[in-house]
Amino acid sequence: MFIIGESIHIISKVVSQAVKERNPKPIQELAIAQTKAGADYIDLNLGPARKNPEETVQWLVKTVEEVTNLPLSIDTLNPVAMEAGLSICKKRPLLNSASGRTDSKERMLPLAKKYNTDLVLSVLTDRGCPPDVESRIESIMETVAYANELGIPNEDIWIDPILLPVSADQKQVGEALEFMKILPDILPGIKSTIGLSNISNGTPEELRGILNRTYMVMLGRYGQHSVIADALDKELISLNKGEMPEITSLIYRVMDGEEVDLSSLSQKERDYLKTTKVLKGETLYSHSWLEV
Amino acid sequence: MQFKAPVESYSGQVREITIGKGAKALKIGGETTLPFHFFDEGSIPNPPRFALEVWDMEPVTWAKWLLEPFKDVVSDPVKWAMKCAKDFAVDAVCLQLASTDPADKDTTPEKAAALTKRVAEAINVPLIVYGTGDEKKDVQVLSKVAEVCDGENLLLGPAIKENYEEIAKAALQHGHALIAQTPLDINLMKELNIKLGKSFPPDRIVIDPLSSALGYGMEYSFTLMERAKQTGVIFKDGMTQMPIIANLGGECWKTREAKESKEQGILWEGVTALSLLLAGANILVLRHPETLKLLREIIRRG
Repeated sequence: MFIIGESIHIISKVVSQAVKERNPKPIQELAIAQTKAGADYIDLNLGPARKNPEETVQWLVKTVEEVTNLPLSIDTLNPVAMEAGLSICKKRPLLNSASGRTDSKERMLPLAKKYNTDLVLSVLTDRGCPPDVESRIESIMETVAYANELGIPNEDIWIDPILLPVSADQKQVGEALEFMKILPDILPGIKSTIGLSNISNGTPEELRGILNRTYMVMLGRYGQHSVIADALDKELISLNKGEMPEITSLIYRVMDGEEVDLSSLSQKERDYLKTTKVLKGETLYSHSWLEV
Repeated sequence: MQFKAPVESYSGQVREITIGKGAKALKIGGETTLPFHFFDEGSIPNPPRFALEVWDMEPVTWAKWLLEPFKDVVSDPVKWAMKCAKDFAVDAVCLQLASTDPADKDTTPEKAAALTKRVAEAINVPLIVYGTGDEKKDVQVLSKVAEVCDGENLLLGPAIKENYEEIAKAALQHGHALIAQTPLDINLMKELNIKLGKSFPPDRIVIDPLSSALGYGMEYSFTLMERAKQTGVIFKDGMTQMPIIANLGGECWKTREAKESKEQGILWEGVTALSLLLAGANILVLRHPETLKLLREIIRRG
């Protein structure tokens, strides 16, 4: 699946400082590192981009395009910044994101058509985040139909199910996964993405990686097209390339409910097994899930 | 065609815990099925237990109809506790060490511990002891209480994420059971039990997931207790198999609704208590003896 590198994110102190000072160096270092690591897209997350939106996003786009040939994902809630960013990208960019919310349908969505970009569509509506598979389906069918009517085909649309942290709402993890599984049946030809690192938000920092990687493998089994993730996680890139077939097949076996003898596993395999069980919803999550 | 009701059986068990000593000993929990599922297989060896809340100082904010049953003893915690044990058929007394609040009277650990011992010795039922929830003060108070009441087998709490180590150590050293408290979050609940379990026996832990009153978040407590119970009994998660305490009296009686009339107050406490019983609470701390009587009657008839 495609990896959209998430490191250039306005919440990072390094990034926000560099953007504030218009210092290209830290930004370019991150762009180069992600490119070298094997990312397929570079995400530029500006957040709400309230201050000088057009100038800021265009500076960011130009700065990053100086050092990488990868296509960009422009990630902001601000339609003014979004338009300014999309309009100058050298390669066909990804509009990250629009949703079923009224203001987004009216102001964000049409930009994908205007600038001929790929489009991330999330399941959000004016009522917020749908709480289960059924309501996600209902919401996305409506939003995709709206996009289709504007002339945007399914092949250019990447659906985001909105992923919540396992430590906040364990049940939603299963709902998002189930939704991604059903997606190809209800919207043939449609693509997908997801904010992978959300799964581990709130979990102690050193334990976040294995949650991200395991969930990625689980999503991949159902044909996930892309993830917005930490491209600098070597093991994540490696897993995605199929370079760790034992781990991948172990995760699949646990997903299938197979009884696996723990004593036959290495420490790493045991960790992936336990993590899969938590993400499946079979084991109640706690920060100590690897110790039990 | 005759309808045959399905009968479920589960393989998990809620741990049984004993508090109090000798003739006073009280067993809590131990069930191998879901709350009130008498129609399923499995056993419910102990009925729900009820305690009344007693303060170590005269409360100033309680409604007059709440103070009414205790009005002649409310300034003497020992007499108050004795009255609960003697007149109101409690299974246990819950002593709230309200005066140790550093923002209020800031009673010393020594004084609180001495009083606790007097109360424990005066009553013929086991004693539950709650600190005020002040992270630092509770460590001093509960450790001292544990030491001074060595051998009484109290149920002590709250032990929280920020201070459980020291409190658990004192409880273990002096033979008391522990209340592990987390703020309405099942994942944090499990986490605290795992952490505690490293140095304190899981079969001496009671879970307090925090009980919210009707209209003020009761459904959060309800779903949490229900989930914890199901995870333990159905899915055999050892870190959710502890008995549950619902310390709901204070939460209910501080509501605007409970302060409007006696009847409404009793109903507020009663509905909250009944709901949490159905969710899986094994021991409940109430404030009004009439609520306690009402609940026992409901359970008896059911």
